[in-house]
Amino acid sequence: MRSLAAQLICAAVLAALWETASRLKIVDPSLLPPFSVVCATLWSMLWDAQILYEVWVTGVEVMVAFLIAAPLALLCGFFLGEKPRWGEVFNPIIEFILAVPQSVFLPLFMLALGTGYTQKIVFGVTHAFFVIAVNTVAAVRTVPHPYVLLARASGASRGQIYRRIYFPAMLPLVLTGLRLGMIFNVTGILLAEMFSSRHGLGRLIFSWAESFQITRLLAGILLVTLLTIAFNEVMRAWEVRVSRGQSAGIAA
Amino acid sequence: MSAVIEARGVGRVFSHDGAELRAVDDVSFTVGEGEFVSIVGPSGCGKSTLLMMIAGLEPVSAGECLIDGEPLRAPQPRKIGMVFQDATLLPWQTAAENVEFPLSLSGENREARRSRVAALLKLVGLDAFSGHFPHQLSGGMKQRVAIARGLVRDPRILLMDEPFAALDEQHRMKMGEELLRIWTETRKSVVFVTHSLNEAIYLSDVVYVMRAQPGRIVERITIELPRPRRFEMLGSEYVGRVRNRIWELISMEVT
Repeated sequence: MRSLAAQLICAAVLAALWETASRLKIVDPSLLPPFSVVCATLWSMLWDAQILYEVWVTGVEVMVAFLIAAPLALLCGFFLGEKPRWGEVFNPIIEFILAVPQSVFLPLFMLALGTGYTQKIVFGVTHAFFVIAVNTVAAVRTVPHPYVLLARASGASRGQIYRRIYFPAMLPLVLTGLRLGMIFNVTGILLAEMFSSRHGLGRLIFSWAESFQITRLLAGILLVTLLTIAFNEVMRAWEVRVSRGQSAGIAA
Repeated sequence: MSAVIEARGVGRVFSHDGAELRAVDDVSFTVGEGEFVSIVGPSGCGKSTLLMMIAGLEPVSAGECLIDGEPLRAPQPRKIGMVFQDATLLPWQTAAENVEFPLSLSGENREARRSRVAALLKLVGLDAFSGHFPHQLSGGMKQRVAIARGLVRDPRILLMDEPFAALDEQHRMKMGEELLRIWTETRKSVVFVTHSLNEAIYLSDVVYVMRAQPGRIVERITIELPRPRRFEMLGSEYVGRVRNRIWELISMEVT
């Protein structure tokens, strides 16, 4: 609770610095409009049907991409974690791809898939897939063997071992993977929107920058920031809840 | 005393990179009804592997294990309760849920389960801690929960794999005393694996001494101390002789 208060104070101080720097013209107000003005713009944007539509478009893309990437990555990760022979071959490949900045593939995706929904969603899926899969593999691998022995000695069936031991033991790391996957997914989709789309929040933010509407640009950035922080914190709280007493998980 | 557990020429071979390791070789012994048996030996002598084979958790490469005269093919949760090293409690469950775990797998009715769990937590002296999670319990308390879980299906046999190894000497002896009290109340046949000679002598009716490479039983020693056991007995001349004898057997191979 105490650290939360300190964090809120930090945020308030930053906002105050921003406000004064702009008001006193220490920074050019046309480049950095006062914080209060940006907030007011953000507020008015929330009632603008056109902007809400673009936010909706992005939101749907993000959800669709995640609903495709997450189950696929969980299945692949579980399979590769459980079958060491397959894992030996494919785990390094997945790790390699995870290490490559996928933005370099965007032009290729545009050529192959055009500039519509498909391209944006595929780009989101490929961003999310690998980090979720890698975390799921790690989650399977770190299920403590003694727990499995205990379950077998207690008469558990294979299904019961998966449900009662694997699932709860894997959950913290899997949630970490899903949280990071969602962040990667949003990054991928906003990126695709900025460079290869007519619609969506990413496109909107980019066009505000192009037309030098700094206040709206900052308001848009603030909106994305707040949404992702809110999502991240909810997921993290969940991770902490399921991982009490477990050593794995909770890093990023 | 009829044999509850019987091992007949049991062996276990691990092959690793073409090399064969005889972890357990031609081991035979019996455990009678209500008997407390310990297996002592240096680390790596195969005593844990042997216990896992009696539990049906590890396949045998040779010989067979009989439980109540029947060959063992799979784990027997109704007949055998297990207590593992380091307690092995599930961290996402409370003490009561951990004790209930074996019952919850078999779909017994909830009321019966709850009262059984409550009775066992009382037996191990933890009725006030039923809602605590493992990380909120001390090492000794975790082992009590593990013992309660091992007993929850009222098995005739309790197999214990170095259950107090993680505790300091003082707590270890205390838990030993506690275990004897529980054993006296429940009269299970116990096989207790340890590398502590004092612990083995203090607790057991019979001590089997194992040696490594290949892992085998080299001697069966009957502990002729009256029950109830008391700590002072560990200072007696008799216990000193037994301890020296076991020590001789174990250290012979080190030289």
